[in-house]
Amino acid sequence: MSEAPLLQADGIAKHYPVKKGLIIAREVGAVRAVDGVSFSLYRGETLALVGESGCGKSTTARLVMRLIEPSAGHVHFRGEDVTKVTGAKLRALRRRLQIVFQDPYASLNPRLTVADAIAEPMAVHNIGNAASRRARVEELLRLTGLRPFHANRYPHEFSGGQRQRIGIARALAVEPEVVVCDEPVSALDVSIQAQVVNLLRDLQQRLGLSYLFIAHDLAVVKHVADRVAVMYLGRIVEVAPKHALFSDPRHPYTRALLAAIPRPDPARRGGVRPLAGDLPSPLAIPPGCRFHTRCPHAQAVCREQDPPLREIAPGHTSACHFAEDLPRFDAEAGAGVPPVAARRLAAYAAARAARTAA
Amino acid sequence: MSAAIEPLVQQEAAPPKRPGTLARLLREPAAAFALVLVVLVIGAALLAPVLSPTDPFDNDLSLAMQVPGSPGLPLGADAQGRNMVTRVLYGLRVTLLMGLASVAIGGILGALVGFAAAYYRRIDGLLMRLMDVMLSFPAILFGLALAAIFGPGIQAVVLALSVATIPLMARIVRGSALAVMGLDYIEAARATGMSDARIILRHVAPNCLSSIFVFATLRFGQVILLGSALSFLGLGAQPPIAELGAMASDGRNFLFFAPHIAVIPCVAIFAVVLAFNVLGDALRDALDPRLRT
Repeated sequence: MSEAPLLQADGIAKHYPVKKGLIIAREVGAVRAVDGVSFSLYRGETLALVGESGCGKSTTARLVMRLIEPSAGHVHFRGEDVTKVTGAKLRALRRRLQIVFQDPYASLNPRLTVADAIAEPMAVHNIGNAASRRARVEELLRLTGLRPFHANRYPHEFSGGQRQRIGIARALAVEPEVVVCDEPVSALDVSIQAQVVNLLRDLQQRLGLSYLFIAHDLAVVKHVADRVAVMYLGRIVEVAPKHALFSDPRHPYTRALLAAIPRPDPARRGGVRPLAGDLPSPLAIPPGCRFHTRCPHAQAVCREQDPPLREIAPGHTSACHFAEDLPRFDAEAGAGVPPVAARRLAAYAAARAARTAA
Repeated sequence: MSAAIEPLVQQEAAPPKRPGTLARLLREPAAAFALVLVVLVIGAALLAPVLSPTDPFDNDLSLAMQVPGSPGLPLGADAQGRNMVTRVLYGLRVTLLMGLASVAIGGILGALVGFAAAYYRRIDGLLMRLMDVMLSFPAILFGLALAAIFGPGIQAVVLALSVATIPLMARIVRGSALAVMGLDYIEAARATGMSDARIILRHVAPNCLSSIFVFATLRFGQVILLGSALSFLGLGAQPPIAELGAMASDGRNFLFFAPHIAVIPCVAIFAVVLAFNVLGDALRDALDPRLRT
């Protein structure tokens, strides 16, 4: 990982002004949906972005794709500033950055056949002619586990998992380097999740893709990610390689997330103390450390000083004043792979084995 | 569970043949009937000079108010003794032209405004307030003003009705376009780097078709009635030009002695409006891939 990052976000922020008054609108505040997020994505890796609802994961994805304009910060893709380019350069950039959406029912135009939906990005970028695009559509359908004769069907004739495959095929049509996966499996049944997650991993290996993988399901993250970035209230609070994050989390919020993974075993219940309080409003972000209102380890300094994201071990950064001093993470109570996740991981592994055997 | 995550079982069946839009349209009897009626009505209007037994302005006072079924007069004659068959055929021409032209012109302009307002949220407020201003003028009043400027005639009526249709269509299109704009496939299209025009034409507009169709067919009936009202006020078709609404209003003076003079054009209006409404509904369904079986 000594090479330069493929995609680098640098303090990106998105603030939505809140206005009051019907005729003369005064700005009374701002929703700080994303508030200074920095991360790097390297070639061929999967960076997972996790966090609870409303923490700004999807907004970050859209900022990176420049589907919305950032209030501050920069995103560099291969040294080019995504937030500045316009016209033909932006179009060229869009070819290399693609997105897979969460809801497979809303992400396909119901009036376009599968072939039209997948071929359209190629037509927009003037790739090939009608015949070669048609051949590529069939190739992509095969690649994503569908059949060539599906090309003439409409989206409503497919199941959720199949639609998600179509969405992936559409994203891959222009041969992107980075694919932003915005919760690509959270709208699917667990059994279908395994298929789609494994498909994404196969494609990554075959095509050398880099994924920015947004998720809230830690079992899925554990399966696909190389590195994990944890977001809380518009900020990244911890970034670490997957194994380090799951075995030795160095931010109280990450620990709370890991501890909150449901455990069906009644004997192991009760050891988890859920976080007190609610997620503060992004309209009124607490001063100091934004997690201090819910943090079991909060001290006076946390209420006053905003802890920067600092490196505590090679490749492991945490935004906690006491990252090094946190008590040992109790693997029994919260870490380790909880049985439900273990079973799902086993299911993923079994599906993978079956795929490679087939 | 392990069975559920096996790769999808796919049958190697040949793709089934899909019926085309027209075939699906004709499968419904009411739609097929409406299509035939619309074709007949348009054909009759276009071929009026060939089909008509007499000249539309040819009057013979000795035949005035002859009842339908009189020799040579299957639909009777009006108060001036003009053959009703000829009058209805020529009237259809003017009425259809008026209805179709004003729905088409007003509908297209209104849809453009609606798409622009939904797609470019920056100008949404401005465009929609402008539409509100247009909406506040009654079509009849606007027609009166236009007739005062350009003189009464079909052109003034078409212009007035088109302008009156713009804000209505704009509001309806904006509403359904806004709903479509919030869906992920629009974002996917933007992420692909498509031009705004392409996104609107290929992704937004086709998904608003159903409300556009419903409104256009509804509006077609209203426009014909409004046009008739303008003719009735003496602003539209000027005598002796035949227009179904004007004919109906002429006939009202003789409602008790010769009801056919008013009733026949009214029945014609009713049939035309009904046929276009049924056809519009069926066309909307036939064009929607989700309703295909």
